[in-house]
Amino acid sequence: MFILKIKCQRKTVKRESIDIYELYKGFTGRKILFIVVLLIVLPSMALVAILQGPASIGIKDAIFSLFHSSTLAHTIIWYLRLPRIVMAILVGIGLSFAGTVFQALLKNPLASPYTLGIASTAGFGAALGIVFNVGILSQYVIAGNAFLFAILSSFIILGVAKWKSSTPETIILAGIAIMYLFSSLTSLIQYQGSMEEVHEIVFWFFGSLSKVSWKEIAMASFMIILPLPILLKWSWDFNLLALGDESAKALGVKVEKTRIIGILLASLITSGAICFTGIIGFIGLVSPHIARMVIGGDHRFLLPASSLIGAILILMADTVSRTIWAPQVIPIGIVTSFIGVPFFFYLLIKRKREYW
Amino acid sequence: MKVFLIFILSPLYLFFGYLLASEAIVVTDSLGNHISVKLPVRRVVALTSDALETIRAIGAEDLVVGINKNIPKEPLFWPKLKGKPVVGNWMEPNYEALVQIKPDIIICYSRWGKGIEKKISPLGIKLVRLDFYKVNSLKRDVNTLSLLLGKEKEGGNFISWYQKYLNLIKERLKNIKYKPKVYIESYTPFHTDSMGSGGHEMCLLAGGNNIASSIPIPFPRVDPEWVLDKNPDIIIKAVSINGYELNNSTYLKKIREEIINRPGWENIKAIKESRIYIIASDIWAGPRAIVGIMYMAKWFHPHYFKDLNPEDIHKEYLKKFHNLKYRGIYVYP
Amino acid sequence: MLNIKQLDFNYHNIKALEDIGLNLNRGEVLSLVGPNGSGKTTLLKCINRIVKPKKGSIFIDGKDTSKMNSIELAKQIGYVPQATPSKFPMTVFDAVLMGRRPYISWRPTRNDLDIVAQILNVMNLKDMALRDFDQLSGGEKQKVLLARAFAQDPEILLLDEPTNNLDLRHQIEIMELISLMVKEKNISAIMAMHDLNLASRFSDRMVMLKSGRIFSIGNPHEVITSENIRSVYGIEVQINKDNNYPYMLPVKVADERK
Repeated sequence: MFILKIKCQRKTVKRESIDIYELYKGFTGRKILFIVVLLIVLPSMALVAILQGPASIGIKDAIFSLFHSSTLAHTIIWYLRLPRIVMAILVGIGLSFAGTVFQALLKNPLASPYTLGIASTAGFGAALGIVFNVGILSQYVIAGNAFLFAILSSFIILGVAKWKSSTPETIILAGIAIMYLFSSLTSLIQYQGSMEEVHEIVFWFFGSLSKVSWKEIAMASFMIILPLPILLKWSWDFNLLALGDESAKALGVKVEKTRIIGILLASLITSGAICFTGIIGFIGLVSPHIARMVIGGDHRFLLPASSLIGAILILMADTVSRTIWAPQVIPIGIVTSFIGVPFFFYLLIKRKREYW
Repeated sequence: MKVFLIFILSPLYLFFGYLLASEAIVVTDSLGNHISVKLPVRRVVALTSDALETIRAIGAEDLVVGINKNIPKEPLFWPKLKGKPVVGNWMEPNYEALVQIKPDIIICYSRWGKGIEKKISPLGIKLVRLDFYKVNSLKRDVNTLSLLLGKEKEGGNFISWYQKYLNLIKERLKNIKYKPKVYIESYTPFHTDSMGSGGHEMCLLAGGNNIASSIPIPFPRVDPEWVLDKNPDIIIKAVSINGYELNNSTYLKKIREEIINRPGWENIKAIKESRIYIIASDIWAGPRAIVGIMYMAKWFHPHYFKDLNPEDIHKEYLKKFHNLKYRGIYVYP
Repeated sequence: MLNIKQLDFNYHNIKALEDIGLNLNRGEVLSLVGPNGSGKTTLLKCINRIVKPKKGSIFIDGKDTSKMNSIELAKQIGYVPQATPSKFPMTVFDAVLMGRRPYISWRPTRNDLDIVAQILNVMNLKDMALRDFDQLSGGEKQKVLLARAFAQDPEILLLDEPTNNLDLRHQIEIMELISLMVKEKNISAIMAMHDLNLASRFSDRMVMLKSGRIFSIGNPHEVITSENIRSVYGIEVQINKDNNYPYMLPVKVADERK
């Protein structure tokens, strides 16, 4: 009797399956549309941002300066504003991408690029450079150190993962331990330093886009952009990890390997993003959530969407930080926190389910 | 018999009377507060280097019983004091050490270190807040200090020496029409000095126009683009370093290079004309600011100060008030 | 087509499975029964290599599973775990689409999407295709997980207590779906089962485990006997043989006399 039922269903299956197919296509189509919209918004914002700053430059002047390299407007736009804007976009993409990856790998919606202690170790490296002038790459002591120590932290974590267990819980705990250790070490260095050095260390932690030039952008983009395609290719595996380690394994995902290499690459991106600009917080945590609210949890769309949202947020924050009290510059880390915290509360209140 | 007793006991009366009636004076600190201090003050601790320098300048070095933690890093400048016990500094005073040393007064900045009074008054130590880094209040601060330490004459000498040169500069700049635009960068990159800071004051006294003067807070962090837009004629960078201990100008030179190489800054007038000067913190915003002002006046208005050599004035100061030979590097170039 | 030989597995020096050997043919449904801790779930995890056995070998159609890579294995074995809450949102369609992962390199093809659509239809899940997986009832969730395993197009289905926490209707529905798929596609299924009666009704063969060892193996009539149940579960039962499968009624706790 049951078999009869199946036979009848099979005739209508073809037609009905087309219905679902269309539905699903529409569903996916909407996600792609959202990303396209973001791709339009971002450059538009960038164009607007180019015109903002204490030195007032109108649209006509800006276009004129494109062709005349001797004007003041040209210098300001090409050597000061544009590098800032490009770096903001790069860092926004990097931090959000890494944040999304960390949330997937650690199966924790509260994970951020800094969960594994990278901020503290990088800060320690920067402090070493600022106070003792000790470290690698003499011309870029501070950035070089920050990068080196950030990578160091991920190696420590991976060591723990290999030696003990690579479950998300172990990894997060190791990250917390590293954070406390290096925070204390940084405080120790601050204690030894002069007032001005302490001042500089504090401001490094606030994050700043003021000091970037095209050379630094080239270096940073190398570190941020290179790992992106590899991680993007693993979108499916990130989706599967959300089902649980066991289900993911049963569906063919090499869970341990994916987690370890994923963390390494995401840490590389984060280190590249923060070594020149300092710690810019909240973006890596908040962008994946905003993207998820609109686009859902499929990482093929989530990763690009979250990156673009992050870029837009940081661009906004940077523009605010240098126009609201011009000519003063509010450190960008402070502005992102101001945007991030209320938004976080909003998410907490508005979410429809107990899970994310 | 009664007379005999009175005769024997009177010195005791006198003695007790002396104890009870020991002088206490009321002085004004840098905040304008009136503080009552028991005289004589025999034991002093200066938590700031500016205060310590002024103490020595008025000849009261032997009253110092404790030093702040930066002093041992400058052995050449403080040959006699470098061995004294260290009591932390104005950010983090070491209260235990203070208890052991038992000074009569400690001197600290007016703007920072808010909780110190509460901690030390139960210990019987008086806190007097004297800045010494603002030229306009220097006279009053030095007077207060001289009164406290019983060095009125020496204090007066110091003030008149100081005033002599200040007046000289003021006189020469009396009729100038043109004031160059100056960008002042303090110890931390991209932080400038504005109203309320020592650097701003010095700039004005030297006849310069501080491009940051309209910013409401004393040490704001600024957008590099704004500096480009204002296009200053001169850039002054203050560096936190012990100029007295320096043997060469390598470090100052490095700082100068770093500023010149900032992206886009090669277009600033000051950099194009190579009018960018580095100043060591010894002669910046402290009791020796007059030397710094003299250098700046010479850079801003070379025509009016051709005959003056700030180095000579510096030598004079060191010999007269500190009994030290001149050495070290303080400016570049 | 499935051969397990001399399988051992230890959890931190505790022998969880010892000397397990069994064979399974195509078109067969086999139930693993036994009290909690007897090793049912562990055995399942050993078969699809979620955990690695200490000793022993597993062959599927003559191929050693330890030599297969994880994707190849995922094409052979479809695993249906117990439904757990997930932390991230996912539609039902996407959840089932996950099952196609071993076949997808970057984009799911039209074929993949059609397969998923078809399965959703057959299992009456069409109406909730775009709903959030977490908002479904327990029974519906279990069906979706089963659908996912079907999407893997496996040769063997492994099910870990598929009827736990389900209402009666869903229990029967799931069991019928499994039997249907096994017969239609000529695959096999191994189910770890709590409910002895459901197990005996829907299985061709049964394995009863006690403390990690095989206590009894055979068709339901051979395995579901009052002596076996007394030995393994420690209760007295009445066996009813009115239908063509044994049905047991628990009576009371057995006396502890050996």
